Amino acid sequence: MAEVRFDRVSKVYPDGTRAVSSMELEIGDEEFMVLVGPSGCGKTTALRMVAGLEEISEGELRIGERVVNDVPSRDRDIAMVFQSYALYPHLSVYENIAFGLRLKKVPKDEIDRRVRDAASVLDLTEWLKRKPRNLSGGQRQRVAMGRAIVRHPQAFLMDEPLSNLDAKLRVQMRAEIARLQSDLGVTTIYVTHDQIEAMTMGDRVAVMRKGRLQQVATPQELYDRPVNLFVGGFIGSPAMNLVQARLEASDGDGSYAVTVGDQRLSLPQELIAARPALRDWSGRELVLGIRPESLQDAALAADAPADRRLRAHVTLREALGSEVDVHATIAARSAETEHVRELIEDRGGLETLEEGGETTIVGRLAPRTTAAEGETVELAVDTAALHFFDPDSGLGIYAAQTEGAVS
Amino acid sequence: MEAATVTRRRGGGRGRARLVPLLFLAPALIFLVVWVIYPTIWTIGRSFFDRDGGTFVWFDNYQEIFTTDTLLTAIRNNVIWVAVVPALVTAIGLIFAVLTERVRWSTAFKTAVFMPMAISLFAAGVIWRIMDEKDPAQGTVNAVIKVFDDAFGGGGAVTAAQSSTPQLTGSISSGFVLRTPLRAGDTAVLGLTAIPPDEIPRDAPDAQQPSAEAGAITGTVWRDFKPGGGRPGVVEPGEQGIGGATLELRDNGGGVVATTSSEPDGSFAFDDVGSGQFRVAIASSTFTTPFEGVSWLGEKLITPAVMIAYIWVWAGFAMVIIAAGLSAISREVLEAARTDGATEWQVFRRVTVPMLAPVLSVVFITMIINVLKVFDIILSVAPQSSQDDANVIALAMWRTSFGGVNDFGLGSAIAVFLFLLVIPVLALNIRRFKREEG
Repeated sequence: MAEVRFDRVSKVYPDGTRAVSSMELEIGDEEFMVLVGPSGCGKTTALRMVAGLEEISEGELRIGERVVNDVPSRDRDIAMVFQSYALYPHLSVYENIAFGLRLKKVPKDEIDRRVRDAASVLDLTEWLKRKPRNLSGGQRQRVAMGRAIVRHPQAFLMDEPLSNLDAKLRVQMRAEIARLQSDLGVTTIYVTHDQIEAMTMGDRVAVMRKGRLQQVATPQELYDRPVNLFVGGFIGSPAMNLVQARLEASDGDGSYAVTVGDQRLSLPQELIAARPALRDWSGRELVLGIRPESLQDAALAADAPADRRLRAHVTLREALGSEVDVHATIAARSAETEHVRELIEDRGGLETLEEGGETTIVGRLAPRTTAAEGETVELAVDTAALHFFDPDSGLGIYAAQTEGAVS
Repeated sequence: MEAATVTRRRGGGRGRARLVPLLFLAPALIFLVVWVIYPTIWTIGRSFFDRDGGTFVWFDNYQEIFTTDTLLTAIRNNVIWVAVVPALVTAIGLIFAVLTERVRWSTAFKTAVFMPMAISLFAAGVIWRIMDEKDPAQGTVNAVIKVFDDAFGGGGAVTAAQSSTPQLTGSISSGFVLRTPLRAGDTAVLGLTAIPPDEIPRDAPDAQQPSAEAGAITGTVWRDFKPGGGRPGVVEPGEQGIGGATLELRDNGGGVVATTSSEPDGSFAFDDVGSGQFRVAIASSTFTTPFEGVSWLGEKLITPAVMIAYIWVWAGFAMVIIAAGLSAISREVLEAARTDGATEWQVFRRVTVPMLAPVLSVVFITMIINVLKVFDIILSVAPQSSQDDANVIALAMWRTSFGGVNDFGLGSAIAVFLFLLVIPVLALNIRRFKREEG
């Protein structure tokens, strides 16, 4: 058991590409740290540097008290779970799990005891004599886990271990791994591109983008106070709606409102109190972030005041049973800053920025909503949960300009 | 046509179902029957008749295989081939495949190693026959060995000599020792005669009477002979020095204190010898014969020589097949082994090799079959004189049938014997294929 510390660690490839740029991260003893980000963000490279499978170009990496930059993988005392599971195809499940212990020349009966313990924890006892090719995906995944846990390593490193499983099994194993980790109390670094895995499993989550760490925080804080546009847009599903808006101070009474196209949302006092820096933005354009969960069908929330509503034209209704996702256009400009464009690229470029004065927003409404495709709906906005970003730097607007990490 | 009309009727589908596969098989079947099955049966039958084919002799031909010396040599050689070559080819192929995976110019290297496969085995044999020539001036292999031999001492200055005076005693095998003990400041004159005339270069400088130096023992080693004779034991004008001779300074017990070698004019000096008495000797290494070349094509080394040529050709094949297998191994499995605590050697032995096992066995079994049938390379590498010693079953079969003996009865028997040897390996191979499919 040990902490893992990245001290200005970088990975530079011979062609000059910086896969990871001076990463600063401390993972506490027994902590479950999730590295999350879109593909190509450097999260797997960072993990492989901890594993010793990738050379560290700059900076220092410590596991426990030891600087491990030049320590070969085999001496780092870490266990890795690979996306492909990387089981030894010529060995039985038993021998797969025992492999690391045999190399360490652990006595035979001790190996047997540990392998059987691990197998019973992972429900593999009846498959011990099988070869990996005769196992299902879920079973293979558990063998890979077994191979990691028998070694009692200083840290677990997991590289998208669930991405080859079907959705149902993934949910089940998600809970399983989180439970195992807290039972064993082994420091864990878990890499995923799936923000739901990140939010549900991690003690803390480190969001990465283009080789740079964006924000390290608990899942709730990431959701509530994203440090910049990228984190705001990456965390949460469906993704946060981002529209161009203008902040205006009402004359005299010290209250504020945002104008979205031709519509106006007045902001509650506590929002301004929580984000004092907003006062400097009055009369200026900024990027407004509205989470789909902050929208509600006004017909079902009759008490929502008129100045906290948005009119929108429904283009698509997706009924999910427990809720209804409504895609609707409002008369407002999309946030067309460079940061938003990159964010959309990172998501896979499926959405496109609308031309002209229309923006599609997504609302997650209660199932009783009567909003229908082709009709206009009134959406009540939970204005206390709105997010604001600087259109130039992409940083979230909170207390002071200095707050937040690198963009 | 008949089948086509039959199929129109109910239940007639079966006839057509049989005919169609037969049609597809026909071309291959016809060739197999004409070129393989008929000759095989005929050969088996022929093996029970005598050389003229007129008399039925039962198993006499088979008995002869195991009682004739050259044929027994052939069988023994074939056993050695099967025991050595497939394993070596597989091992070398594995090493090349693993190494080329990590080098920068791997494609160039692989091409170079694979290239011999493009040459006919017979031509490869001719190349090696020339390379294996005994004379270092002709055979590349011996020329290379000579370079190393020369670098580490090599041949001596002369090959034969006698002492010219009774003062110098000994022989070329023990070296020559000067009887009189010497001290610092003394000189030694070491005369040799009976040296083969062409071993002293014509333009070698004349030897000089050594001049004494304080604290040193100086001397001259020279050919104490000139046309017309000359006086033994005296350095005279016209007598040439022997350059490159090894001189030893020995103490009273006979132990060597110092060595030096002579200048082209035969002069030498031991500096700073200190006090005490010494004896000067010409070391026996002065008289060693130069490297004359290993007789690769002689009766003793001919089989290893052919094997080397054969391995040179087939190592590339093994390397390419194994490299293909290697590239199919997932990187992540090897990485998993490393994080599991394995050293590179353990990764290789406990993960890479077991995962390559199917490929290795394909190469190994293919090589066994090839080696059992080895023929043309032996014919081309081994000269007539050593073909009896390089003989293998396939070559013996050919030589008995067509190589002058013209005993088709015995030749057929040898062919059948070889056929019987290949069958179990083929069966093994087929079983493996079936298991892989199943």
